[in-house]
Amino acid sequence: MLKSKQAVFAALIAMCFCAPVLEASDDDIKVLRAEILKLKETYEDRIAELESRLAEVEKAKSKDVASAPARPATAKRLVKDNSFNPSIGLILNGQYSQFSSDEGEIAGFAVGHEGERPGEGFAVDHTELNFTANVDDKFFGSTTAAIALHEGETEVELEEAYLQALPGLGLPDGMSVKAGRALWTLGYLNEHHSHTDDFADRPLPYRVFFNQAFNDDGAEVSYVLATDFYSEIGGGLFRGDDFPFGGAEGGGAGAWSAFARIGGDLGDNQSWRLGGYLMSGDVPGGRVSNEDELTFMGDVDLYLADVRYTWAPTGNARQQEVIFQSEYFWRNEDGSYEEDGGGAEGFDDSSSGWYAQAVYKFAPQWRVGLRTSQLQAAGVPAGLVGSGLDSSGHDPKALSLMLDWTNSEFSRVRLQYNREELAQGQDDDQIMLQYIMSLGAHGAHKY
Amino acid sequence: MKRYLGILVVALLCAAARTAQAEVNVFACEPEWAALAEEIGGEKVKTFSATHARQDPHHIRARPSLIAKVRRADLILCSGAGLEQGWLPLLVRKASAAVQPGTAGYLAAADIVPILEKPAVLDRSLGDIHPEGNPHVHLNPQNILVVARVLTKRLESIDSANAAFYRGRLKDFTGRWTEAMDDWKKKAPSLKGKTVVVHHRAFSYLLNWLDMKAVASLEPKPGIPPTTSHLEGLLQQLKARPADLIIRTPYEPDKASEWLSEKTTIPAVMLPYTIDGTAASGSLFALFDRSISILKGAIPSASK
Repeated sequence: MLKSKQAVFAALIAMCFCAPVLEASDDDIKVLRAEILKLKETYEDRIAELESRLAEVEKAKSKDVASAPARPATAKRLVKDNSFNPSIGLILNGQYSQFSSDEGEIAGFAVGHEGERPGEGFAVDHTELNFTANVDDKFFGSTTAAIALHEGETEVELEEAYLQALPGLGLPDGMSVKAGRALWTLGYLNEHHSHTDDFADRPLPYRVFFNQAFNDDGAEVSYVLATDFYSEIGGGLFRGDDFPFGGAEGGGAGAWSAFARIGGDLGDNQSWRLGGYLMSGDVPGGRVSNEDELTFMGDVDLYLADVRYTWAPTGNARQQEVIFQSEYFWRNEDGSYEEDGGGAEGFDDSSSGWYAQAVYKFAPQWRVGLRTSQLQAAGVPAGLVGSGLDSSGHDPKALSLMLDWTNSEFSRVRLQYNREELAQGQDDDQIMLQYIMSLGAHGAHKY
Repeated sequence: MKRYLGILVVALLCAAARTAQAEVNVFACEPEWAALAEEIGGEKVKTFSATHARQDPHHIRARPSLIAKVRRADLILCSGAGLEQGWLPLLVRKASAAVQPGTAGYLAAADIVPILEKPAVLDRSLGDIHPEGNPHVHLNPQNILVVARVLTKRLESIDSANAAFYRGRLKDFTGRWTEAMDDWKKKAPSLKGKTVVVHHRAFSYLLNWLDMKAVASLEPKPGIPPTTSHLEGLLQQLKARPADLIIRTPYEPDKASEWLSEKTTIPAVMLPYTIDGTAASGSLFALFDRSISILKGAIPSASK
């Protein structure tokens, strides 16, 4: 076959070159024609054969693809069970502090145990463990547990454990519902975990009016209005167990809140927010103070106002930023105070407090801050003179200076000096050195 | 009287309905995406950019005004890949169901274009790295075209009444953009193979597209500001193997690059990075025109 082919080609080539001079006979031509025809047939057969084989291969291949999903879907999932794990974040928080005064009492305010200054020396402060994830298309869930040392014992505090409705639930646009235990919307700092604070300790009003933070069990609804500037209204119902309330007996809500906020921008590089808040509730079962010596029963009304302003002088807040923030608290208590071992004394009076702070980021990793706080205690009834409610006419005040270094989004070291005059003749110079480290998932920060 | 009142009410309702559906509200995280939305949407969209050129998009506060804007948004258009991780998730939770991730109203550019510099090792000791890869995707003009196509589809589905309008604008934009890309490519060959020192890896897509090479970063690790010891190290490195140029964005401070430039005599320049980052960069077209002309102007061997 090969030989005949070569012969034919050779003949054809020879023909091409020699045609003008070659005088081939008719018989020769006939033979050649027959040869060519035969060759053509053979090739056509072979091509057809190859084509059919190719078609078969292709058919088999497509069959393979089609049968692929028939494999059990679970085969791969066994090793991927953790891909739905919630985001996990851990905050390490510790400090070294030194105080010049032995006492840290806040005159005229029978504070809860967390409202007092922290312990002296080296201390690991709250270590926060946070888990968050979307539960499904309708809910978002979050839990923050704080591991803290209190009076020599390690305690696990449930700081937050809440669910939040996702837009998938079909609530009207702008509406949000949160239920469980959470740092509720009250003033500026309350919503924030203390590791995001600009100072190592909470300002005085937070210590006396919220015992650091209000995170009662309850539910809150908020609604962002469809306005061009920011405006939000909302309110909540709470069990009434957390300071400034306490001793909730269950059945109905012990406390409620309402708030309204507005905010916006001033030009390209400045923004502001203003808020007003009201919280009211009763203390039926008694709220005990720090050293268990005073018990309050009655109604508590709390009014709050906050303002925050940020300015990035160069436009880029990463480089330089000025933050100003202030909050004002006014509280009325109507009921009775009972001193340990004494009788109940009727009480209906108000106390107030405020703080203002300015923080200046002068370089990407460096900030300085100044804060001043002041309180005004209520007048003391005759029967409670000399008790923890007796401020002896002294208005507690504190001044704080801080310098912090933020290496990255995830680590910060802070040096703070406090000058606290919280009670008559109890001037306290404090130095605090604090670190805050954030491991793992690091959620977005609120304004 | 009653009749007039009825007419007034009807007129008011009509007016309200008209204003309600007049425009598609586009919330763009960065100016380049706002510009793209305007190219495709024209007068049918109302765009808002959450950041401007002098702001570092990694570090934005979820400020009240942004909550108000995102609340009314019909489409959120962002870079994605973790660039807005520090502020966008909070805003999105305040937004409507129609603009949540996974819906037609939420478009992250990094989800639809090829991503560079995806880290093989995830460890925060390596700096503030994005597990998803480099998020500064808009600086490759081919990516702009990819996003433009998907954006048009999204606008069509959100505002189907004007679908033909958006398609027409896309066609027009694609024509002009392709022509511009040809033009840039014609100007760019002299930049090929040139080496640069960047401040942060914000220009990887531009350098990749122009076949240029980043040989070092002023930041010792992503997200960590330049340190003296790192800059000293860079100085030694550049003395041994000089680079052609030092570049930075408008939001990065000039101190480190000017210092290095002075010590090495390698020119340092600021590229626009985004819309209005420098003079004459007011549109997407101008952004690339300007970037290429600054690069060519600053590298003597490339300015022909």
